[in-house]
Amino acid sequence: MTLTRLALAAAALSTLTVTACATMQVNSFVERGVDITRYRTYHWAPADAQSTGDPRLDNNTFFGERIQAQVDKWLGDRGFEKINADGPDLVAHYHASVTQEVNPNGLDEPYLNPCANDQTTCDPPEPYVFDAGTIVVDLVDARTKRLVWRGWAEGSIEGAIDDQAFMERRIDEAVARIMEQLPRGL
Amino acid sequence: MRRLTQLTLAAIVMTAITGCATMSVSSHVERGLDIAKYHTFDWGPADALPLGDARLDKDPFFLDHVQGAVEKAMAARGLEWAATGTPDVRIHFHANISERIDIDQTDVNRGYCPGEGCTPATVSYEAGTLVIDLMDARTNRLLWRGWAQNSVKGMLENQDTMARQIDEAVTRMFERFPRPL
Repeated sequence: MTLTRLALAAAALSTLTVTACATMQVNSFVERGVDITRYRTYHWAPADAQSTGDPRLDNNTFFGERIQAQVDKWLGDRGFEKINADGPDLVAHYHASVTQEVNPNGLDEPYLNPCANDQTTCDPPEPYVFDAGTIVVDLVDARTKRLVWRGWAEGSIEGAIDDQAFMERRIDEAVARIMEQLPRGL
Repeated sequence: MRRLTQLTLAAIVMTAITGCATMSVSSHVERGLDIAKYHTFDWGPADALPLGDARLDKDPFFLDHVQGAVEKAMAARGLEWAATGTPDVRIHFHANISERIDIDQTDVNRGYCPGEGCTPATVSYEAGTLVIDLMDARTNRLLWRGWAQNSVKGMLENQDTMARQIDEAVTRMFERFPRPL
């Protein structure tokens, strides 16, 4: 009996976790007519002077360097070479921002309330506020200075900044999903 | 009289508990950092200490109190203020006040509904963040960053409240300070 309950609780918990991950929105665009695979080398543009919108992340090298290291890993796997000398084909740039968002959670749709038929024992969903984070990765043609590829991911980072290991996992996941969008060779 | 004292004490304790519950404190640290290599510290140049809010920029009490609290916490961990020469660690701090929103469920949960279909209220408040950075003075790399966030309500008008908040923020931040390896 207890075991069944435990299993149910575990199932509910894992569903929650899966849902939380699934809320990450990922997208990208490529400049029309550009074949990204003809570029070979890149380097990083100087760090962003803009605020991220969260003082905990502004000038936070633990955060910025994790993003860069992950992007480096993915670009390396795709055959791009990072060079520190002048004259790379691409200039890479990242930007991160944090904003507060409200999840009304059914507040506007009482007919979706799962507790409509069971007011006594069911806890209705409650609206909540969360921190949403966006990471943008740009690849710019070093000669023409035109943006040739942009990928981004957006999702809840609630609790992530205050937990360094969790933040790193969240960055790794976001960058992986962004870089998967990078077009492969024809 | 004695009863009054007890009541006052209870009120103070309650306030302290509520105050603690809302301040969130955390930190980031360089992987593999051995703090035992560092012995002396100094503050970064004044121009490298931009504050995010004019109300704090013009408040020498705020600046002094933060510096005092941090110096005390550093001393307690065996780091000495470098009167001369190059320090091992350079400290920067940054304070910021920004508008944040929260959802107040209290009325709804207590069954008290102020009309309008009994929906939770969205409240906005001013959140203050105090960030303290410890940099390696030679390499200029960030070693540790600690921060505390809390509503600044009542803090800007009252020096005692501000002093208490700063003390709590710095004390709790430094509880997370890296231990020697």
